[in-house]
Amino acid sequence: MRTDGKVLGVHVGRPALRDPAWLRSILIGLALGFLALFVVLPLVTVFAQALRHGLIAYFDALAEPDAVSAIHLTLLVAGIAVPINLVFGVTAAWAISKFEFTGKSLLITLIDLPFSVSPVISGMVYVLLFGLHGWFGPWLREHDLQVVFALPGLVLATMFVTFPFVARELIPLMQEQGIEEEEAAVSLGASGWQIFWRVTLPNIRWGLLYGTLLCNARAMGEFGAVSVVSGHIRGLTNTMPLHVEILYNEYNFVGAFAVASLLALLALVTLVAKSMVEWKWGDSLGHSRY
Amino acid sequence: MTIRISGICKRFGSFVALDRVDLEVRAGELLALLGPSGSGKTTLLRILGGLERPDQGSLTFFGEAALSLTPRDRQVGFVFQHYSLFRHMTVFDNVAFGLDVQSRKDRRSRLAITEKVRELLRMVQLEPLADRYPSQLSGGQRQLVSLARALAIEPRVLLLDEPFGALDAKVRKELRRWLRRLHDDMHITSVFVTHDQEEALELADRVVVMNRGRIEQVGVPSQVYNDPASPFVYDFLGNVNRFDCTIDAGVARIVGVDQAFPAVGMAAGPAVAFFRPHDIELTRLEAPAKGTAVSAELLRAQVRHVYAIGPTARVELDLAGHMVEVVMDQDRLRGLGVDGGDWCGIKLGRGRLFRAGMVAAMADPR
Amino acid sequence: MVMPDHNIYAGLTVAVAAGRLGRGWLGGALARVHQAWSGTKAGEQGGMIIRYSVLPGFGLTLGLTLSWLGLIVLLPLAGLVIHAADLGWSGFLAEVGTARVLAAFRISLTTALAAALINLVFGLLVAWVLVRYRFVGQKLVDALVDLPFALPTAVAGIALSALYSANGWIGSILVPLGINVAFTPLGIVVALTFIGLPFVVRTVEPVLQELPPEEEEAAISLGASRLQTFLRVILPALTPALLTGFALAFARGLGEYGSVIFIAGNMPEISEIVPLLIIIKLEQFDYHGATAIGTLMLLLSFVLLLLINLLQAWMRARHAH
Repeated sequence: MRTDGKVLGVHVGRPALRDPAWLRSILIGLALGFLALFVVLPLVTVFAQALRHGLIAYFDALAEPDAVSAIHLTLLVAGIAVPINLVFGVTAAWAISKFEFTGKSLLITLIDLPFSVSPVISGMVYVLLFGLHGWFGPWLREHDLQVVFALPGLVLATMFVTFPFVARELIPLMQEQGIEEEEAAVSLGASGWQIFWRVTLPNIRWGLLYGTLLCNARAMGEFGAVSVVSGHIRGLTNTMPLHVEILYNEYNFVGAFAVASLLALLALVTLVAKSMVEWKWGDSLGHSRY
Repeated sequence: MTIRISGICKRFGSFVALDRVDLEVRAGELLALLGPSGSGKTTLLRILGGLERPDQGSLTFFGEAALSLTPRDRQVGFVFQHYSLFRHMTVFDNVAFGLDVQSRKDRRSRLAITEKVRELLRMVQLEPLADRYPSQLSGGQRQLVSLARALAIEPRVLLLDEPFGALDAKVRKELRRWLRRLHDDMHITSVFVTHDQEEALELADRVVVMNRGRIEQVGVPSQVYNDPASPFVYDFLGNVNRFDCTIDAGVARIVGVDQAFPAVGMAAGPAVAFFRPHDIELTRLEAPAKGTAVSAELLRAQVRHVYAIGPTARVELDLAGHMVEVVMDQDRLRGLGVDGGDWCGIKLGRGRLFRAGMVAAMADPR
Repeated sequence: MVMPDHNIYAGLTVAVAAGRLGRGWLGGALARVHQAWSGTKAGEQGGMIIRYSVLPGFGLTLGLTLSWLGLIVLLPLAGLVIHAADLGWSGFLAEVGTARVLAAFRISLTTALAAALINLVFGLLVAWVLVRYRFVGQKLVDALVDLPFALPTAVAGIALSALYSANGWIGSILVPLGINVAFTPLGIVVALTFIGLPFVVRTVEPVLQELPPEEEEAAISLGASRLQTFLRVILPALTPALLTGFALAFARGLGEYGSVIFIAGNMPEISEIVPLLIIIKLEQFDYHGATAIGTLMLLLSFVLLLLINLLQAWMRARHAH
């Protein structure tokens, strides 16, 4: 019938609901101004500051050994934490979306918990467990193991913080899709693995990609939690965000913003990929819960 | 004359929703806009209500040009198919809304508003539910609240968009009766949209049959049912048998059947004949004969299936490859005693022959 | 103190046991627990607790999920609370009752509240513009809204700090006017506004999108002006979503660290936020202080989480009309 409604959104094609042009312009202007001030300007600042002394200074700052080792460490931490959380997310989403059991909503809330906890606390809990004065501190020292102020602590804190990303993206999506296709596969004699690889995974791949992207962005950019467990040993336990902090506090602004610009680029790539997934396969993504 | 619509056109992109529509709505009548989905009936109703703007044409309300009027100034009550009650307001607040939002100088006192709302709720027999929220009501109750809400502003015209479309059959019938009674009491000029021909024929004073953005026919229910002006109206209103024919030298023949009908003054070429199932008479044939024609008026057909449930029975026959449906009383069917596979004689009664742009009544075949 | 150690041991046993669980084992165990609780008789496949399903993998996936959740999230958090319990009431109150801690809480709460309020207003505005209007570059704007989710907080922190410092693009305009943003509580509000920006927009957007247009048309045909329609029909329908977004932004702002510390100036009792104070205590090896403050923060987060869950339940109830 009214064919325009579908393309443009249900409210746009309704003349009685159209705001006058002057009001539209004012509201659009205000919204864009707010976003420009709070989102665009900070983003532009990062690149402007990084390139303030030209491209050579920029690349020199990135080639500095401590910066290189921070980049390596960040990639390593994300390279461990993200795949583990990916497996966890799929596992949790399978249990929650394909079965009915009591206590399910409590479980979902618990999985979401790390989102509500301050990142500083996410790091602190591991210091309390594995730090020098923590419960396992003495035992770890006896066996010459180090968790806090070393790679394991960074990975644990990052995993805590990024714990819910994949699961919360997949759960609503898989709940919407139901279990009919999987039941059909069972009736045709497929095994559990076959069902997952050939029926479920193709249906959730975009949601999975989306969740993994967000998980990765957060894993590489996490600051508060890793700040607590890192010990800030230059060239050893400094991830990129921590290195940004050190450089900034040393008034090495070009260096700080150069490393920051890499993180900002990562954020932009994540956003572009996310938007592309959304526009192209919006129908196959669940409604995200924020 | 209450509302005059002339030359209204409306397109949505490449889709033509209304194509030069002219219509008059008479004071105090209950008018049905009937048609399949996509026929433009809802768009026309929304234009009347000021919720949509036509691309072309004019509209007058009580002699006053209405297209430039806001919905508020038109003083129309609009009832939506899915009730569209304000879900965060109680039944009472929903009905009171139109009175609450009036400008300060027109607004009644709180007490007067309460009195008016109570009166309306009494009328729809929902006064005890005044403090409920819409989600606590049944579909029928919601639509009654929606009606009371529209009536609260004392509209000059009541517009209803498929008012019973979302309800189940039983409630629909009750509300239909209730609306008719309401209209008989209040005589408020009303236009309602429906795709249900039974609803339109039973409820309306006049029916407007629409198809593809154009009006096919306007008339009182008996007129549009008994005298359809076009093949579309014939098809859309009630069951009908449709036969492909050829016209040659003023005589029409059903394809593959040895029987001729007069088609005086109609050009040669293909045509279509329509007969209602109850306008066909069935007789029992004892001896099987050859050919389709038993006599000048009797055609030979074989019974395919008999549906004998309820007071009327339905018989499906095969007439030289054409499917023919005949409806009769159960008693009469029993008297005939026919069953699947039997041969019967059928006599085509009143029908109508259409050839692109031309219409002819078909009475008795010669 | 024996109790805490005992508790942590019990927690560990549960987690380790859950880790060892094979297929089906857990289902049966849960069913037995449930049976003991409710007195109903468990059916063949776990009875009441798990509705029968032909799909495989329940015991394995739930077992993995629970052990993982227990090890990575619940156990460490429980450790924090148990650590705090060690302090006892008086010890706890002594740690959080100091002027510096109370001031940090006051600063964190007020700045997070202010930022959430700003986001409430502008988030609604941005959502409205994105849903109801069409303009050039809309998709780009829509994508930009998510930037604060994706941009590492430290990057946002140094960028905002550079912008609002006396020689920054914005600071150089504001400072001569006597408005100091960098190194004041105002700077904290700016950083938290940035961080919380997507929450209100993204919670309100889908609700606004799915608001039936007929409801507004009904209001208009009943004689309501556009403003009346907005205030009486649209706004009440958006209220649960607005409150949810507000609470999410507030909760996020309360715990935020990275973006704030660069712009805040971090002066005790003036612009020192709670998460920073925790880190300072940790760096001084004052684990008691850090634990007490952290536990109080955790408690606040739980209250907010509960509130948000209730709000979302309210939202769903509204939606189920």
